[in-house]
Amino acid sequence: MALCRGAGLLLRTLLPGNPLLFPAACRTQSSVSGVLVPWTSLTSPPWPEQMPPVCEVEDARRQAAVVSTVNGSIERQDYGRLFAVVHFASRQWKVTGEDLILIENHVEAGCGETIRMEKVLLVGAEDFTLVGRPLLGRDLVRVEATVIEKTESWPKVHMRFWKRHRYQRKMIIVQPQTVLRINSIELAPRLS
Amino acid sequence: MTSRGTPSRFLQSVLQNGVGRYVCQLKRLSIIFSKNAQSSLGIRGFIEEGVVDYAKYNPSTVVYVSPQPCRIPKIVAEYLNGNVREEIVTGKTSIQISEVLTKLTNQSGLDIIRLRKPFHTDNPSIQGQWHPFTNRPPCIGPIRPQKQDAEQGLSNI
Repeated sequence: MALCRGAGLLLRTLLPGNPLLFPAACRTQSSVSGVLVPWTSLTSPPWPEQMPPVCEVEDARRQAAVVSTVNGSIERQDYGRLFAVVHFASRQWKVTGEDLILIENHVEAGCGETIRMEKVLLVGAEDFTLVGRPLLGRDLVRVEATVIEKTESWPKVHMRFWKRHRYQRKMIIVQPQTVLRINSIELAPRLS
Repeated sequence: MTSRGTPSRFLQSVLQNGVGRYVCQLKRLSIIFSKNAQSSLGIRGFIEEGVVDYAKYNPSTVVYVSPQPCRIPKIVAEYLNGNVREEIVTGKTSIQISEVLTKLTNQSGLDIIRLRKPFHTDNPSIQGQWHPFTNRPPCIGPIRPQKQDAEQGLSNI
């Protein structure tokens, strides 16, 4: 009996309706993305939070200056080597000109044919980077690749073994592979 | 065996193939078969129908057809980097043999062993490789510990 009473007391203290831990404005099972974690002494640092002074005119001027500099260097084509982050075959690759990529499946192009990679997330040169949200426009960047080789992978052993159960299965897996050579990354001379 | 017990190599291409023009890496194909044996039935059928078309579509590859008294028909492929690959085509049909030939044509002659990385770059860093001092403001004066009390306490000891 005493044990049950003690357990009941414990349960009552731990119920989510405790007003000390959870402020009244928050509900545990609400779809509103507000305060989801209880506020403790370690939620925020002990020093007062200082936001930097926001000046919209200054910010707009700086942004315009950056955009005009980047536009100028793109129009003059005086950046050096470009790199790009490209989404291909369910993976993201950081890619430059003349580098090799191995895809672990069959690509629908024959050897020697050129492919254009359209999902470009980011393009960068030495002095500037263009970040897409999440992709950059098709008329802005052009990433071209050539299919060099279409082989099979080395024979991988897939073995399942359960000890003391007399169970083992062995399978040899050979996957098709494609090797791509990135030919070039080109930037269009106009940004908006 | 496991990938640790077998040899491995890095992803590479033969003589920067693809940077300028793509060159088919298959140099020579020798088809060794028997004129009368049953195992070479598919090969004989392929030679009747498909060899001439194959040779026409791949002008950079030389095809040698050599009937010999042999038990096992083979296709020996030699590549531009010097590697030689033999494929045994016993009991295969004509269509399977043409698939084998397309596979050999599309390969470069590099070894089929474990590849350590699925990419290869000669220019890994464009904006400069990161080190702990990138994007940190430079400091004026020597770097000292912040509190003078700690120093006095240590000197007392």
